[in-house]
Amino acid sequence: MDLAHSQSEHDDPARDRILIVDDQASSRLLIGSVLEAAGYTCLAYAGDGVEAIEWLAANTADIVILDIRMPRMDGFEVCREIRCRLALDLPILVQTGIQEADCRVDAFKVGASDIVSKPLNPGELVSRVRLHLERRRMIGRLQRYQDRMEDELRAAQSMQLALLPGPEDVAAILQPRGAAMTTFYRASHMLGGDLWQVFPVDGTRFAVFMVDLSGHGVSAAINAFRVNMITAGLVRERADPDRWLAALNRALVPILPVEHFATAFYAVIDAAAGEMRYAVAGAPPPLILRGDGGWEELPGRGLILGCLADAEYECSSVQLGPQDQLFAYSDALYEDFENPEASLGAGDIAIAVQAEAAAGNDAFSARLLTRLFGRPDAEFRDDLTFLLIGLNAP
Amino acid sequence: MEYRSEFTGSPVVVMIEGVLTFDDHERFRELVGILADQAPGPVVFDLSGLTMIDSAGIGMLIMANDRIVKRGGGLRLRGVSGQVAKVVELSRIEQLIPID
Repeated sequence: MDLAHSQSEHDDPARDRILIVDDQASSRLLIGSVLEAAGYTCLAYAGDGVEAIEWLAANTADIVILDIRMPRMDGFEVCREIRCRLALDLPILVQTGIQEADCRVDAFKVGASDIVSKPLNPGELVSRVRLHLERRRMIGRLQRYQDRMEDELRAAQSMQLALLPGPEDVAAILQPRGAAMTTFYRASHMLGGDLWQVFPVDGTRFAVFMVDLSGHGVSAAINAFRVNMITAGLVRERADPDRWLAALNRALVPILPVEHFATAFYAVIDAAAGEMRYAVAGAPPPLILRGDGGWEELPGRGLILGCLADAEYECSSVQLGPQDQLFAYSDALYEDFENPEASLGAGDIAIAVQAEAAAGNDAFSARLLTRLFGRPDAEFRDDLTFLLIGLNAP
Repeated sequence: MEYRSEFTGSPVVVMIEGVLTFDDHERFRELVGILADQAPGPVVFDLSGLTMIDSAGIGMLIMANDRIVKRGGGLRLRGVSGQVAKVVELSRIEQLIPID
C-alpha cells in the first residue's frame, strides 16, 4: 500500500482550515492577511471564546490560533473546552502578549500546542502554523495506517479462530466414541502459532493433534494455516501417530525457514479399549491424570518438526482407565521467562488440573488459570493452548 | 544474551550466557556473522552460563548450525543444564547438533 497517496493527503495550504480567535478586529485581520499571503485561504474568524467554541462544535478546523485575553470566555477556557468537552486533538497555537512564564506554563497545561508572542512576527507565525499542520498530517497518516493494520489483524484473527474446531465439531467426533474434551486457546499477539485438531479414525477411535509453530504473531499464524492444509491431506496415516508425524514433518521441511520449526503431539485414542497410542515431536510431554489421584508424564520424545526430512518418530502406547484424563499443553503454560524460578513443574500442573477438573467442566479453563496465575486473563509471552480429554463423558 | 569468545583456535569456543529468546535475534545473528567471517573450522557453543532458552532460541541454534555446516565447519554444544537441558532434551536437537 502507498501511504503517500492516501485520501486526506495534501500539501495544498488552501485546503488547511484555520480558525483565528481574537477579540481585536485588527489582530484578526493582521493574522488573516499574513496567512493568506502564505497561501492559507481557508480561514474562519471568531471574536471571543464563546464564538470559537460554537464554531468548532459545528465546523471542522485543522488548527486554531487563539488569543488569551478575551471577554466572555478567555483562551484558557477555550483550550479546556476543546480538549475536554469537544475532545478534539487539533493543534492550538496560543498567541499572547503576556510575557510572564506562568501564563505560558498554564497555557500548555490546559492543552495549548505552542505559543507565539505578540507582537506577531509574520515569518514565525507562518512557520509554526506550517509545522503543526505537517505534524498533524503525519500523526493522521500513522493513525490511519495503524487502524488499517488493526482491522486486517482482526480479520486474520477471526480466520485463525475459525480454524479451530468448535464445541459441536468436537462433540460430534468424541461423544459417539466415549470421550469429551475441554479446550483453551489464546494467542499472545492477536495471531498465533498454536493449532489443535480432532479427527475421526474409525468407528471407535479418534485422533487429537496439537502443534506449536515457533515464533508468534503473523509469521507463526501463516505457518499454522499451512499446517492446517497439510493435515487435511494426512488421511491414510491417521491411525498411526508415528507415520502421521513423519509425514507432516516431511511436508514442513521444505516450507519452514531454517530457524523455524514446530513442536507437536498426536494421539489416537480408543476409549472402549482403554488405549491411547501417541507420538511426540518436541512438545511438552502430556500428562495422564489417573482416576485414583495419581498422575504421570508420558514418556516418549521426538525431534521437532520441520528440520530434518528423514526424521523418524516413535509410537508409544498407554493404558487409560474409564476415570483417567489426558492433559496436553503448550510450553507457555509453565515457562516463565520474567522469573525463571517461578516456572512450573509437571507436578504443579498435574495437581492444579486434577483439583480443577474434579470440580467439573464448567469454567474449567478460567479456574485453572486463576489457580496457577492468580487471574483468568493472565498474560503470557507466548501462545497458550491446552486440552483436557476425559474418557468417560458425563 | 551475552557472548564471549577469542574467535581463535580450533575449535573456536563461544561462551553464551544469560537468556536466549526471540529478543536476542539481532545479537545472535551478529555472532553468526562474525563466526562466518572469522571461524572457518569447528565451533563449540558453551552453554554453561545460559539459564533459559525459548523456541526462538532453539531456532537460532539450528540456524547457526546450518550456516556453520554449510561453510564446511561443524557446531557442537556443551554445558547444557537446567531449563536449557530440558528444552534441548524435549526438542531432540542432538539429532541435528551434537551435544557433548
